[in-house]
Amino acid sequence: MNILTVNLKHLYQRRGLWLVYVLLVLFAFIGIAVSFKRPAAGQGRFIGLVVLAFVVGILLAILPIEVLSKPFSYCLPGHRKVVRKFIFSVAVVFNFLGSLLFLWYPGLNSWQLVLVACSAFSAGLIFYWLGVGLAFSIRNSAAWIGLWPFVIFGGGFFGLHIVIERAIVGNPFGVILVGVLSSVLVWLWLGDARLARRYCGVPGIGSLDAWNRDKVQKYRQVRAAKKWDKLKKHPSPWVETFFLGRMNRYDYVSTGRYIWGGLYTAFGIALSQLSQWKEAFSGVFLALVLVCFLGYMGPGRNILFIMPGMMIAQMRLPVYSSMLISGGRNERYRCAMTLVITTAVLVTILATIVATLSQPLAAVMPDITLRGRTFAFHAMNIELFFIPLLMIPIVFTIQLIYYRKPVVMMVLIMLMFMLLFWHEQFGAVINPMYIVSPVVLSWVLFLLVLRYVCMRRCLVGQV
Amino acid sequence: MNNEKPIVQMRKVCKRFGNIKALDDIDLEIHPGRIIGLLGANGAGKSTLLRHIIGLYIEDEGECVTFGCKARKLGPKELGRIGYVHQEGELLEWMTVRQLIRYVSTYYPNWNHQLEEKYVADYEISTKARVGSLSPGQRQRLAILLAIGFEPELLILDEPAAALDPVARARFLDLLLQIIQAENRTIIISSHILSDVEKVIDHAVIMKEGRILLDSSFDELRERFSRVRISALGGELPAELPFENVVHCKRSDGQAVLTVQDCPREKLQEQAKSLNCWVEIETLPLEEIYKIVVSS
Repeated sequence: MNILTVNLKHLYQRRGLWLVYVLLVLFAFIGIAVSFKRPAAGQGRFIGLVVLAFVVGILLAILPIEVLSKPFSYCLPGHRKVVRKFIFSVAVVFNFLGSLLFLWYPGLNSWQLVLVACSAFSAGLIFYWLGVGLAFSIRNSAAWIGLWPFVIFGGGFFGLHIVIERAIVGNPFGVILVGVLSSVLVWLWLGDARLARRYCGVPGIGSLDAWNRDKVQKYRQVRAAKKWDKLKKHPSPWVETFFLGRMNRYDYVSTGRYIWGGLYTAFGIALSQLSQWKEAFSGVFLALVLVCFLGYMGPGRNILFIMPGMMIAQMRLPVYSSMLISGGRNERYRCAMTLVITTAVLVTILATIVATLSQPLAAVMPDITLRGRTFAFHAMNIELFFIPLLMIPIVFTIQLIYYRKPVVMMVLIMLMFMLLFWHEQFGAVINPMYIVSPVVLSWVLFLLVLRYVCMRRCLVGQV
Repeated sequence: MNNEKPIVQMRKVCKRFGNIKALDDIDLEIHPGRIIGLLGANGAGKSTLLRHIIGLYIEDEGECVTFGCKARKLGPKELGRIGYVHQEGELLEWMTVRQLIRYVSTYYPNWNHQLEEKYVADYEISTKARVGSLSPGQRQRLAILLAIGFEPELLILDEPAAALDPVARARFLDLLLQIIQAENRTIIISSHILSDVEKVIDHAVIMKEGRILLDSSFDELRERFSRVRISALGGELPAELPFENVVHCKRSDGQAVLTVQDCPREKLQEQAKSLNCWVEIETLPLEEIYKIVVSS
């Protein structure tokens, strides 16, 4: 088996990528559906797969970067050059398939269709190289894929899709020329021996490592040791004094000591940051920007109540901790319970305050007109204040159950997010029973799972 | 035989992770005042056993009792007597070293601040540094400080010296010897660096594939295994050497090196007298003993 084949096997051997494929297929399906539903020339309906090559370029370039960063691969014969072959193999296959869509482009004869398909192939290559270039240029580029929907919607809003499609169809020779030249440049660049040296032994977060706590922790440790690390924040003296003082009010065997200790480890750093003027001001400013942005989002504005639940998923409960302090399983249970209740209450209060602030703003914020479309500011619906209270225990329940399977955890949380968002979009029936029953149920479920995990499951390592 | 009540009792403890039997029918008693070396290859079940003792793992079958309390029900009273240095190296990254020490010490009424200051000075731990920025070796030193700062009765060290350089390891062993001097202090140390471990332990437990192969005092163990070097004073060695229980024999040019098991030294010396040879009997290093036990 040659080295290229071994590397290409990554494409199906890494199970985390299967989820990515599902999303890519979904995007590709949307792209194809848009093309065939109402085939019209010059409307930008055919470039879905061409533009998707950018995301594929990022994702596919991350895989060989991960291989390059393993010191042994630098020494293995042929491995330094396989990056180029790997990236080009995928580029040819993906963009060939993407360009086939243009064979159904309306209003062109046979040879024109072939020419346009070649042009689309080249355009796909250009987007693909941009993705590859981004992946090799910036640290942890996978995270930037999260901005992709905004780029799509933003580009669509400003009509970039039409511009690109017209360039592909109207100026095929130019696009082909640029595609060939860029491919030659990328071929030379990827063959440069300095590239392998640059990545050899350099730690980083891979395309699917953002959910791997152990890898992320190790990466943070390495990063924190660097001089350029700017995240050297730690609790302020007053925060430390406050929490340690509260802990010392309780007896050494009292649960209160552990609860305050848990609150300190959970909120110490956030409180320290908020107590600094600069940080506090930035927080208020960001909240205002967020309110303004959400206010103009139409029905999607109430995402305000769902977002905290997603963000909370990154918070770690003091349950699966191998750092032994004198607290037992019972202390872990009570500490985690208090922490989640405190978090849920704080988040609900904060979200409600922001929603309340948006009420008077609705009267003063002007309508904004962009490219003929008018956007009006709408206040957030305060009646949805209960959503964090409902969502947070479910998020933590999922986290407790799938602690060692972060991909499953994130997928479930995303599904819940989409379900709530979809439901909210189509209007919720607000009545007390509708609110109270699921909230109570979610808390009962969470407490039962938490109790079970704390008392009956292994708390570190294999679970 | 130690007549004191054991501080850890494991009876018929079994633990499975999926299809893997991590602990298989473990019976173990740990008496106070012992320094126990827990030895075994990767995946032998050492860490799993240690985690059962402090209740982080729950046994599928059997029972594990620590300080007279079921391990799964250990509370602050019992855990306040146990120090644990673990493999994962999990610490609170965002605190400074000084803050982390203060935070952890808040949980222990008998935190020894003098010991802390001495340790910080001896091991050159920068207390102003952020924990997340420490090197693996510095992190390990800090983890050891957090585990010994309250002078625990039972100190569990799971691969404590793995991240330490040779100088730090030597200092760490000195520190262990100081800790050992305190009466009734019990230490369980799991390590792959057997040459280090054998300097401090008085009891050895060897594990393989979730089972305890050997549970013996270190002195007894050293008595059980010997190496006999024989050199012929003139001519060749006899074809048959008069030693029993030979585990391994290597002969070359009028010389032989034998590894002998379960044969008292007096008997060996007696048997050696019948040979017209120069005979030297020596105890085996722990590493050799370990290899013999595991391979048998």
